Amino acid sequence: MYVDSATNEMYRTENPVGTPLNFYALVKPKRFHRLAYGLSVTTPFGSTVQYEPGWIGRFAITRLSMKVFHIQPTASFKITDNISIGAGFVFSPGSVNLQKDLPVQFNDGTFGHAEISGAAMGYGYNVGVYYNPGGFLSAGLSYRSGINMSVSDGQVDFTVPEGLAPNFPNGTLSASLALPSVTTLGLNIKPNASWNIVADINYVGWNTYDTLAFDYATNTGSLLDTKSPRMYKNIFAFRGGIQYAVFAKDNVLNVRLGGGFGFSPVPTGYLTPETPDGNRAYFTSGISYEFNKHFSFDASIYATKITRADTNLETQLSGTFTTIAWAPGIGINYNW
Amino acid sequence: MKRQYLYILFLLPLLLACKPKAPTHVVDAGTADFTKFIAIGDGHTAGYMDDGLSLDGQKNSLGAMIQQQLMMAGAPAIEMPWMSDQNIGLSLNGLSRLILGYKTDCQGISSLSPVRVSLQGETSALTSSAYNPSKKYSNFGVPGVRMIDMVSTAFGNINLPQHNPFFARMSKDQFNLPGSGNYSSVQENIFDGGYPTFCSIYLGIEDVLPYARSGATQHPMSPLAGFPGVGFEESLTQLCEQLYGQHVNAVIATIPNISDWPFFNTIPYNGLTLDAEKAASLNQIYNPIGISFVVGANPFMVADPNAGMFGVRPAVPGEKILLTAPLDSVKCNQMGSIFPFRNEFVLTTDELATIQLRIDEFNAVIRQKATSYGFALVETGDFYDKLTTGFAYNGATLSAKFVSGGAFSLDGIHLNPRGNALLANEFIKAINKKFSAKIPLINALNYNAILFP
Repeated sequence: MYVDSATNEMYRTENPVGTPLNFYALVKPKRFHRLAYGLSVTTPFGSTVQYEPGWIGRFAITRLSMKVFHIQPTASFKITDNISIGAGFVFSPGSVNLQKDLPVQFNDGTFGHAEISGAAMGYGYNVGVYYNPGGFLSAGLSYRSGINMSVSDGQVDFTVPEGLAPNFPNGTLSASLALPSVTTLGLNIKPNASWNIVADINYVGWNTYDTLAFDYATNTGSLLDTKSPRMYKNIFAFRGGIQYAVFAKDNVLNVRLGGGFGFSPVPTGYLTPETPDGNRAYFTSGISYEFNKHFSFDASIYATKITRADTNLETQLSGTFTTIAWAPGIGINYNW
Repeated sequence: MKRQYLYILFLLPLLLACKPKAPTHVVDAGTADFTKFIAIGDGHTAGYMDDGLSLDGQKNSLGAMIQQQLMMAGAPAIEMPWMSDQNIGLSLNGLSRLILGYKTDCQGISSLSPVRVSLQGETSALTSSAYNPSKKYSNFGVPGVRMIDMVSTAFGNINLPQHNPFFARMSKDQFNLPGSGNYSSVQENIFDGGYPTFCSIYLGIEDVLPYARSGATQHPMSPLAGFPGVGFEESLTQLCEQLYGQHVNAVIATIPNISDWPFFNTIPYNGLTLDAEKAASLNQIYNPIGISFVVGANPFMVADPNAGMFGVRPAVPGEKILLTAPLDSVKCNQMGSIFPFRNEFVLTTDELATIQLRIDEFNAVIRQKATSYGFALVETGDFYDKLTTGFAYNGATLSAKFVSGGAFSLDGIHLNPRGNALLANEFIKAINKKFSAKIPLINALNYNAILFP
């Protein structure tokens, strides 16, 4: 929801149901028990934002749909009984569709429209080390590199009055989006079989995202390449959680409670409606139930509210964004 | 390789966004009382744009925009001398309004250009009175009205050639007084339905603009001094005194620097573009009197009686070539080169300085009145300066550029609906500040700028 500071006008985003996907698989070969292979498929940055028709920021954005998949094959090696190391690649295919209105009007008053779409690809790697001295405490340190998602063959389509069509030629464009590196230090405390406490610190290298640039293959006096400053900064994020296990014969019920706090990488003056981000505190809660040795079921909920007021220096959009999200999730685990 | 252990975790969370509650905003008139609001002004307040007055323009006038916001804090519904046609419009010369269309020039090249929407303006408006005694106007915007016309009994006298047709059709006299009758002034009409509680006053542009538009050849500017009806200052004083005596509050605006408007800035002083052949032939003509031309951009030639024995010289930086300059003649008949631009198409730097000086004098008076009568003050010059540099507004870029700037209408003088909304916001801001009111601003993007075919 956006409330404009000058007019008090309020606009909502439509409520697209996002379907984030997380898939993990782990293989441990019997003969080389020091080795393990893993594969994960995650959608860490997928989002769809659609603002209601006629909203005041329509020239900044009307709809943004972005999908990023991280496909990470990873291998780990147990050097000693206490120390393991791991490394892997990140393949990151994605797609983007960005739409906005143009401040040119048809004779009936409707605005022109631009739609930019394209497929993106990025590559990166991850490394990590895990230390388990054997007591109730264990720790891990991991690093995932920054990933430059580049759209090399995007398409831009303009809907503009006939009299302006020569100024807005449809065609190809290129763009790129820098996804940040993430350094994570995690701690796991397991004082006994029932209790498990986790905490981690993330350091996210957002400062690579300083500009959002679109390079149009064909430029005209009205259609110049754009370079919008984003000026993101590196941030810390903190997470913590506690799990309690109830044992009953073969079945185990785990109850979890957690929360986190992350600083926003978006500096004052650079808040945009495409990612109306602010410092965020959130709570999570979940249960999982192990029916037997192989099969367990997982349910969770995530809740957050972000409110942030800003005046964007580039567009002069000035108002307050409020995002409330409830994200229930379910999971299925199967062990062979 | 035998698997000892395969672990699969499959997570499918549903991401739902909830609806945050809408905040409530207080709208408050503060110490002002808008229950009887009247907008006083010229064509800007009336909704004159694209060189015409149409119903559509009236609805999107500066006066209507201000009032529409004040209606949230007690102002009554807008009553104007409505034109009957949405689009055709009527110019001060009886023409229809301008729209953007295709025009074929003397070389047969068709391009986007302002064209009249129809052969004739809505001239029926000139002969039918719009006055309705049971619906007193809340908008006394009169296209062409000067500060010194406010108390004039000649202004609405249809028997006099200098009468204003837009005022005559809204005057309570309803055209029907005999030739010797005592016609009522604009000011008398404003107060005819009882005194307002609040006024917006945006006058003074027409005291200088016609002179500037004529290239400083006709329509002398109003003098500063003189009795009401003659001098600017005393005419304003009389209006203010009348309001003050009835405890009427007001917002008053200064006069912008009109020479920054697109009418004066669209044709550059050095817009004479020559190829080698044309430059050579002009050099043959002009070299003997010490003027030479180059391939590319050259200053236009302008007529100047003080410029030597031929009375012609190149334009200099800072001089303005007016939008009325006949561009077809430039392209095909050597206007601005072999035949210099006549004085009516040019404002020299001296003329510009004279105009600016007069505006500054008038503005000093307006500021002083605002202070002494406790009126809110709008510095329109600040707004137009921002437009001249260009600024971002909710993701759209607006500037004072003709057509592409998106704020001025096609006459290059009056704002379009979006421009009026933005200027109205300056009035609202001044009211909020002076009277501790809380009136929200207008979303100017809801109003049209330039429409393209």
